[in-house]
Amino acid sequence: MYIPNHDDINKFLSEAEQQHAMERKSIIPLLQATQRKYGFVPEYAMQKIGVMLGISSAEVYGVATFYSFIEVEPKGKYHIALSIDMPSKMAGVDDVAKRLEKDLGIKMGETTYDLMFSLEWTGCVGISDMSPAMIINEKIFPSITPEKASEIVKKLRHGEPVETEIPQSFTNDLSFDQVEKNSGLKNALELSPEEVRNLVKDSGLRGHGGAGFPTGMKWDFCANAEGDKKYVVCNADEGEPGCFKDMLIFSRFADKVIEGMTVAGYAVGADEGILYLRWEYAFMKEKLEEILEEKRAANMLGNKICGKDDFNFDIRLYFGAGAYVCGEETALIESIEGHRGEPRNKPPFPVTDGLFGKPTNVNNVETFAWVPCILAKGSEWYNSAGTENSKGYKLFSISGDCNKPGVFELAWGMSLNDIVELVDAKDPKAIQIGGYSGQLVPKKDFDRVLSYEDLATGGSVIIFDKSRNLYDIAENYLEFFIEESCGQCTPCRWGNTALLNHVEKMRQGKATRKETKDIETLSETMVLTSKCGLGQTSPNIVKNLMNDFADQL
Amino acid sequence: MSEDGKMVTATIDNIEVNVPEGTTILNAAKSVGIKIPTLCHHDDLKPKGLCRICVVEIEGYRNLQTSCTLPLSEGMVINTNSHQVRRARRDLVDLELSNHTGTCYTCNRSRNCTLRELADECGVTEFRFGEKQKADHEIEDSGLFIVRDMNKCIQCRNCERACKELQAVGAYGIKDRSNKIKIAAFADKELEETVCINCGQCITHCPTGALSVKDETEKVWDAIENPKKHVVIQTAPAPRSAIGECFGNDPGEEAMTFQLATALRRCGFDKVFDTTFTADLTIIEEATELLIRLKKALVDKDESIALPQFTSCSPGWIKYLEHFKPEMIPNVSSAKSPQQMFGAVIKTYYAQKNNINPDDIVSVALMPCVAKKFECSRPEMTDSGYKDVDIVLTTEEAAQMIKEAGMDLRKVPKSEYDAPFGASTGSGVIFGATGGVMEAALRTAIELITGLKAEDLFEHANITPVRGFEGSRIAEVTIDKVGAVPEILKAHFNDWEWLKGATLKVGVAHGTANANKVLADIEAGGPFSECHFIEFMGCPGGCLAGGGMPRPVNMDVREARAKILYDEDMHYEYRKSHENPEVAHLYQEFFTEGPCSHKAHDLLHTHYTARGVIID
Ligand SMILES: Cc1cc2nc3c(=O)[nH]c(=O)nc-3n(C[C@H](O)[C@H](O)[C@H](O)COP(=O)(O)O)c2cc1C
Ligand code: SF4
Ligand code: FES
Repeated sequence: MYIPNHDDINKFLSEAEQQHAMERKSIIPLLQATQRKYGFVPEYAMQKIGVMLGISSAEVYGVATFYSFIEVEPKGKYHIALSIDMPSKMAGVDDVAKRLEKDLGIKMGETTYDLMFSLEWTGCVGISDMSPAMIINEKIFPSITPEKASEIVKKLRHGEPVETEIPQSFTNDLSFDQVEKNSGLKNALELSPEEVRNLVKDSGLRGHGGAGFPTGMKWDFCANAEGDKKYVVCNADEGEPGCFKDMLIFSRFADKVIEGMTVAGYAVGADEGILYLRWEYAFMKEKLEEILEEKRAANMLGNKICGKDDFNFDIRLYFGAGAYVCGEETALIESIEGHRGEPRNKPPFPVTDGLFGKPTNVNNVETFAWVPCILAKGSEWYNSAGTENSKGYKLFSISGDCNKPGVFELAWGMSLNDIVELVDAKDPKAIQIGGYSGQLVPKKDFDRVLSYEDLATGGSVIIFDKSRNLYDIAENYLEFFIEESCGQCTPCRWGNTALLNHVEKMRQGKATRKETKDIETLSETMVLTSKCGLGQTSPNIVKNLMNDFADQL
Repeated sequence: MSEDGKMVTATIDNIEVNVPEGTTILNAAKSVGIKIPTLCHHDDLKPKGLCRICVVEIEGYRNLQTSCTLPLSEGMVINTNSHQVRRARRDLVDLELSNHTGTCYTCNRSRNCTLRELADECGVTEFRFGEKQKADHEIEDSGLFIVRDMNKCIQCRNCERACKELQAVGAYGIKDRSNKIKIAAFADKELEETVCINCGQCITHCPTGALSVKDETEKVWDAIENPKKHVVIQTAPAPRSAIGECFGNDPGEEAMTFQLATALRRCGFDKVFDTTFTADLTIIEEATELLIRLKKALVDKDESIALPQFTSCSPGWIKYLEHFKPEMIPNVSSAKSPQQMFGAVIKTYYAQKNNINPDDIVSVALMPCVAKKFECSRPEMTDSGYKDVDIVLTTEEAAQMIKEAGMDLRKVPKSEYDAPFGASTGSGVIFGATGGVMEAALRTAIELITGLKAEDLFEHANITPVRGFEGSRIAEVTIDKVGAVPEILKAHFNDWEWLKGATLKVGVAHGTANANKVLADIEAGGPFSECHFIEFMGCPGGCLAGGGMPRPVNMDVREARAKILYDEDMHYEYRKSHENPEVAHLYQEFFTEGPCSHKAHDLLHTHYTARGVIID
């Protein structure tokens, strides 16, 4: 086993010391850099990083072991991760796994003897329309088959290069294409910050990350919060299985997101923006840095933006390290501060007590992307579409059993029947709306409508046809939540396991009526007492099964 | 809490409450006599909101809220025992139980486990979410002092938080996530292979039986039952203030000083001595060392002298310094702790005097402390030619022995400690509380230098500026007048003229997080850098809340125990270390060249090891 010696690590870390602030917030970047260098983070390096940042080694270890893409033991030079989400399962990822296990002579979760390959499951990697997906180190391989996987591994073993292109999802016509670069920001800077916030309020824009909080109102809270420093944070953690619209936005409209963040910075009075990307999107780093540079050169970022004397704003990228829960805004903030991604108690909310204790406005990628469009086209353009309480347009990532998966811009208010037609789904039996934490809607209810009034969603739609087994679905969801729970609070840490045990019992027909009743109460307890949205929504699937699919079990 | 003294009014269970802004709902409820059950909450630690047991229903809130984290706000209408709340609590306790293995009968916390109490209070009468039969974790007991049974861990993180927040050690971290989460030392190593200082605050802050002290009572019983062995025990001051709690007393109810002497004798110890004897001896040695340092620094202008001098009696503190500020080791007094002085004296002076082969002596120490177990096993603690102290028992272990011997300590008659180390002074007794060592040192220093009575300067010789529980404190005594050098110090000093008009500045810090702040202050040239002498205690509150003391511990408990010690002090015939007749006797008979002499250095002083924080 190769363990780098102390001198080597000292040398490497003293170089790293030049590139990072010696503060706690640099811990995850330092661990990632160390891992990139050695394939894992050796014990000595963790201790050294602790000394450099003034934190205990046990704490460094705690951060390192929280994130699934940081390894504290030697792993293969090529780290192969297969997506385990339902769309990948339906597209045959298990066969890919079997083939790789056979080719490499190891089981999932193991590393080859020669430290060349490690095999691992991972959560949804963000291209469910091109399932199953595979990640090797920082490269994504879409629509993988057992044969393709075998071929790639063979090449790697022989030291041959393997190429993959950035996956492009199918889309319909998107409004983002129709708005000229920087026109939204320029318009915004003609207005006062308050006028910008009012315009956003008028548009009816609500958060596209899932919870649907009115965006203008959030900006008001943040603008009015007291603080000598404020932050704007873009949530690009996109970990909800079946959600891949943020990835699409980055691949084609990253400049819109950056523009939207800049407008938000102006509107709330922030001078620093942080774009938090999930680790799986690391392959976009260079491109994003380039766009940021372009913006700086064009004076669309930096000091005195567009000649506006008192408006300075810049953005830096920050990469997560493999944790779905970091999409929860306070966990994300913890992660940026260099902690384990454990959600905080709310209240207080980030708009008053956010990053480093300062007022912080967190929005989803798509929310930011709509902002320049609204500023360019006017609030009425946006609020004239949609329904009473769900104004405007939204991107939906649609995958699963259908012939035309992809990302679709739709006005709020479509029914599920419309969706079935749109993507040409044959014999659908149920549709999952809003990712695993959302609702599984049975066919009889396909007249229900995508909207905050009825079926709210951050944009993930997964279609299941009649060949799919409901228990497979429920177990896959719960296994995901068990893997991804941060584990700090009791209801979620142990509750999900209890739910999974019960679903397994149901499958075997062994669940008694009393046990079912107890699990119903437990689901309620999880909703009522969990610290964050993960544990508050993970029982949804169980409630769904019991309430909406009782006749099909 | 708000500084402007703003108050908020709300109703809890239909009772109106009016509390300062910022008060948590939990504390607001407590103020009107409403008890909300808690599990992960500890008054010593910052609220984290992990277990969710303390949830309450608040009108207008969709979900239940944790009362330990949420401040009360104006007009809130709160229900602490609604149907929803009760059902949720029961589910949460049940969930914890579904992942908790171990039987209550055999658990070290069977008497006072919070989880067990909650199961009762919340009406958990069956395992609805499964009962774990198989232990997932091997019990971690290969270390010397702290036993960890992670099968009983409920992830409240009190240990990890105490280690970080109170002690600034950070030996524990949280490993992995979700249901694999585990409280672990760095790289999941044994604590011994880490920066752990063995203070045992993790143990006293654990609400269940997951953490305990390694039980050494069998070793002691074996020694007692071996007719060839002469088994002596020294008893530290702090345990007497709390051991009654193990027998059902309330904290602060009664000192068990003299019942303890009887009970230990009945257990079979050949001699029962009082550690306050060497506490007094420590004061003489340490004060002499300080005066020597001061003279070298002030009169001889020797710049190599490290000042302020740090106390050395708390082994948790010592290991802390060795790991985290080894460059300040020269500041530590070379005097051994009272426990180790005692050990050295027993196997030399006492053995010779009584004609006992030191090899046949088993020297036991009853201590409030886990770190004392580490201290006695340090390789340098063998100056008598033998292991100076053989076995250290914690207060809880001693209580266990007394119980096994069939006694209820509260009902045992009182008796005196054995000569020649049975005479106590009040100064020796208050060693058990933070500030006590400093108070004892000041009483003695004042009298030896000025020739006055400590009572002339402080009412009843109670030096209140060094008392209390504030994290760190500074006090000053100006020496207006000097007296003649007492006989015992004549080897080192001719006169005290050089001290005339000087102001002696002393500091006190307890809990190593506070110690850490004081060390930083010294480095930065702050007020503590001007002190001459600083008392450091590893545990918050001092020995009375040491890692080996009865559980649970919180601020109320600390105060109650401190009161016992300070009350005891007032009742002693001798209140000052230098008045202890047996100590004077020891210098006349054995350390004839006086304190800090060559022989004293051989037996009563020691050295330390720079350890650092990177451990291979
Ligand atoms: C477990 C969990 C995961 C989440 N993941 C994401 C995510 O990947 N992206 C996102 O924008 N919001 C996510 N959210 C929602 C965020 O907490 C937050 O509401 C959102 O970023 C706010 O932005 P918006 O108002 O623009 O929607 C998640 C919430 C939870 C509870
Ligand atoms: S609900 Fe789950 S993910 Fe959220 S804080 Fe609790 S344990 Fe962590
Ligand atoms: S006591 Fe409040 S969450 Fe544990």
